[in-house]
Amino acid sequence: MAEPAAKTAFAEEALTHLDTLYRGALRLTHDPDQAQDLVQEAYLRALRYQHSYQAGTNMKAWLFAIMRNLFWDRFKGSRKDDVSLDDVGEFVLYEKLRDEGARPEADVLDKIAASEVVSAVDKLPPLHREVVLLVDVEGFSYKDAAQTLGVPIGTVMSRLHRARQQLQKSLYEYALESGIVRPSGLGQVPQL
Amino acid sequence: MRCEECADKLDRFVDRELTNTEALEVQLHLEGCPDCMEHYEFEEHLKRLVKHSCECDKAPTAFRDKLRQILS
Repeated sequence: MAEPAAKTAFAEEALTHLDTLYRGALRLTHDPDQAQDLVQEAYLRALRYQHSYQAGTNMKAWLFAIMRNLFWDRFKGSRKDDVSLDDVGEFVLYEKLRDEGARPEADVLDKIAASEVVSAVDKLPPLHREVVLLVDVEGFSYKDAAQTLGVPIGTVMSRLHRARQQLQKSLYEYALESGIVRPSGLGQVPQL
Repeated sequence: MRCEECADKLDRFVDRELTNTEALEVQLHLEGCPDCMEHYEFEEHLKRLVKHSCECDKAPTAFRDKLRQILS
C-alpha cells in the first residue's frame, strides 16, 4: 500500500491529465454524466493499481488506457467488432475541393465551425474515433497510441488513415450542405 | 522525390512520424513544389482544426474538486 504522501503525489500528477481523460470519455460516451462516471472509475482503478505504473513513463497514456478499457468493458461488453470503415474508399478532401474549384484552405477550412468538426469526429466508429483522439487531439505518437490501445503500430496507422478519410468525407458533405462549396461545375459560392 | 511519393508520406510527415532522413526528403520536395506545399499546409491546418475543436471540452470544475476529494 502506498504511503499517504506518495498516494497524494500520485493523485496530483494523475489529475493533471484530467482534461485529456474527460474529453476522451466524452467523445467515447457522448454523455457528460457517463463521461464523469467513467473517468471517476478510471481514477479509482488507477489509484488501486498505482504500483503497476512505472514512474517516469507516460502517465497520460497509462491513464487513458485504463479509461478506454473500462469504456469497452462497460459499454461494449469488451466487444470490439466495430463498424468497419473499409468501404469509405480513397477520399482526399484537398483534392476533392481543388476539383470543385475551391481554394481548400481559405475557402473551406476557415469556414468550418468547431462544432461541425466535433460532430464529424463523433460520427466515427469508436475504434477509429479513439485513434483520432489520441493522435490528432492529444498528440500521441503512433507508438504510444499503439501501446495505449494494445494493438500493433500498423493497426494504428490503418485505423487513423480510414478515420481521416471518413472525417474528411463528413466535412466535405457538410461543406456541400451548408453551401460553403458547390458541387462540380458550379464553382465557388460568391462572398456577400 | 515524386509528388506521388510525397503524398504517400504526407500523413506521417504531418504526424512527425518519419525518420529524419525521410522528413528531410519530404521537406526538400515541399520547398520546390508549390502544389505539394499547398496540400501539406491544408493537412496541417485540418489536423490543427480537429485538435482545437475537440480540445474545447474541459472537465467541469466541480467534477475536478470532487475527484480531488475522493482521491485524497
